[in-house]
Amino acid sequence: MEKVIIIRYAEIHLKGKNRGYFERAFSNNLEKAMKGIRHEIHRTSGRYLIADFDEERTDEIMGRVSKVFGVHSYSVGLLVASDEDSIFGAAKLVAPQSGTFKVETHRGDKHYPLTSMEISARIGGRLLDDANGALKVDVHTPEHTVYIDIREGGRALVFGSFCDGVHGMPVSTAGKGLLLISGGIDSPVAGYMMAKRGMTVELLHFHSYPYTNEAAKEKVVTLAKILSDYTLVTRLTTVSVTHIQEEIHRNCAAELNVTLLRRFMFRIAERIASNVGAGCLVTGESLGQVASQTLEGLTSSNAVVSLPVLRPLIGFDKEDIVEIAKRIGTFETSTLPYEDCCTVFLPDFPAIRPKLSFIEEEEKKLDVEALVDEALSTREIIRF
Amino acid sequence: MIYFDNAATTRPDGEALKRAAEFATEVYFNPSAKYGGGFAVFKKIGEMRDSLLKLSGASGRFDLIFTSCGSEADDQAIFSSAKRGNAVTTAGEHAAVFASFTELKNRGVEPRFAPIERDGSVKAESILSLVDEKTSLVSVVHVNNETGAVNDIAAIAKAVKAKNPRTVFMSDGVQAFGKLPFVLPPEVDLYAVSAHKIGGLKGTGALFKRKNLSLAPYIYGGGQENGLRSGTENTFGIAVFAYAAEQKFRTLKEDAERLGKARERLFSGLDRDVFTRISPQNGSPYILTVSAEGMRGEVLQRMLWDRGLCVGTGSACSSKNRFSRVITACGYGERVLDGVLRMSFSPATTEEEIGEAITILNATAKEYQNTVLTARA
Repeated sequence: MEKVIIIRYAEIHLKGKNRGYFERAFSNNLEKAMKGIRHEIHRTSGRYLIADFDEERTDEIMGRVSKVFGVHSYSVGLLVASDEDSIFGAAKLVAPQSGTFKVETHRGDKHYPLTSMEISARIGGRLLDDANGALKVDVHTPEHTVYIDIREGGRALVFGSFCDGVHGMPVSTAGKGLLLISGGIDSPVAGYMMAKRGMTVELLHFHSYPYTNEAAKEKVVTLAKILSDYTLVTRLTTVSVTHIQEEIHRNCAAELNVTLLRRFMFRIAERIASNVGAGCLVTGESLGQVASQTLEGLTSSNAVVSLPVLRPLIGFDKEDIVEIAKRIGTFETSTLPYEDCCTVFLPDFPAIRPKLSFIEEEEKKLDVEALVDEALSTREIIRF
Repeated sequence: MIYFDNAATTRPDGEALKRAAEFATEVYFNPSAKYGGGFAVFKKIGEMRDSLLKLSGASGRFDLIFTSCGSEADDQAIFSSAKRGNAVTTAGEHAAVFASFTELKNRGVEPRFAPIERDGSVKAESILSLVDEKTSLVSVVHVNNETGAVNDIAAIAKAVKAKNPRTVFMSDGVQAFGKLPFVLPPEVDLYAVSAHKIGGLKGTGALFKRKNLSLAPYIYGGGQENGLRSGTENTFGIAVFAYAAEQKFRTLKEDAERLGKARERLFSGLDRDVFTRISPQNGSPYILTVSAEGMRGEVLQRMLWDRGLCVGTGSACSSKNRFSRVITACGYGERVLDGVLRMSFSPATTEEEIGEAITILNATAKEYQNTVLTARA
């Protein structure tokens, strides 16, 4: 009898002939998620089993599995030989001491001599006898269920509950994107959502030291680490836009400060994207949330890049974004009080519907290429 | 690096560290232990306590309780003394006192905050007008940690006692102890100090307590410090504290005089079009607070750090909020509040550093003006 963690995967079974590709990616991701913990991963049909693992760290393993995209559900269970006595031995350990219960059997191995119903009845009966009246059977609304899963090769899995996984697709199966991550609530959620659809999400953060402080940057590193449990990406690129902000501030119409800065950020992001092999930019923008996130604002940023810009939160209300941020564990860090944008440069009245022609006219006052190159030279890669 | 943030913390005194090293390496015994080594350390702590009392001119009249920091000393004094009625303090207190007074409300005691003057000091009348027969505690900071204003706590304490003799009077002396010539007057009941502001280590503070004043413990346990502060004594920290204090008190008057002049030289070298003075002339010679009006103190602070000058932006403990609560209470507007910089000195501060600091401050402010303030009209 061996303690195992049973992992069932989500949408992958839909993938016809490409299934092998998705399964390999999924299994690689599981391996990455388990890094640093002794374990072995076995594949059986439609399931993965984590076996021979450090049992003291079971909760930690469960926590990690709960964040791997593609996991539909998972359970801690026992792997035994599929003869009746062995199954009963395991079922005794899984069954409750008292209360109502039922046994539910799934028979993956159709050659097994008993039907699912027969197995449930026999094991249930023996559990009942064994409990000396402390247990009662209730097949409709039992307090506990003992699950038996008969697998091929003369083995069976016995377990007492299902935990819901994060679902989604295995990361690395849907290309690579570059997420513009601030320190706010939205961008980490945007990254999470794209990773959930299988995208590898690289991270880029803009800072403007000394107008922003080191704590703000550290906060982004913390967010990146939280996100990496899901995305499995463990590096963050940072670029300073200090000089760009100063130049915009000094030369251009104040109401366009943010609009122009966004355009610089997108240009820089496109260059970094080509460096890291990303095929799109990802942002946490949500329509109308702030002055730069109006249709005109988004259009003006899009106009300077040729890569597609994915905005998974575009139609979300703030409260919906906050709910996801809380669920994935980034909210508390995102709301720490460190400015990631200095109010020194914020205009009193930012342009809400900037005209592209006016933006381009103002931008002509700057040496755009030189400023982008200079910013790129401040690039740092933080690995964690 | 020119370090002008000595009101936040000071470089630990090297000599004191060396002398105290034996408590970390050789005589590491628990002072409560009943064998020879333990008792020897216990005795040593007693000697250090006596030494600190003597330096403060408080021997025979005061007891001294070692704590883990100035804040703990403040809190013990406040929560032990303010049990009923109301408690009076100033709007210019350090957070250690201010936040504890705010907490008093939850414990059924009415906190009362006296307004402060433009320079951060409090007038005796402002305190007295809030004191009545139900006042159980009055707390007045000795040196305002953000402006350097010095309160005449001896006179205020005397006036408070005249109005209500049963009122306990305490003072947070963290920025005064070991810096200003001062003898604890009989009307002050409790006085909180901290080691790391005068060359000691973080994690060591003390509370002076007038003899016969009853005080409740804040931390219960093994009964150390006469039952008033349980927990195994931080013997190494206490030793560094005592040795560093000895050193500071030896040249206290000369240092204060010299730094007073240095402070004035620093201010007179600053560009008057940029820097407004907040600290009073008669304040602590260890603190000069100015405002670079319309600039962001925090940004300037980082620019200065990159140019080799380390300064504060008000109180390090409250740097998470945009405006300093204390400077706001002084009555300044947003433009001044934004640009607050606090330069604070130590006996190690040199004339050369003052000169260099002037150059760096003026140049950095100019640079800030050129990049940020000269936006397109």
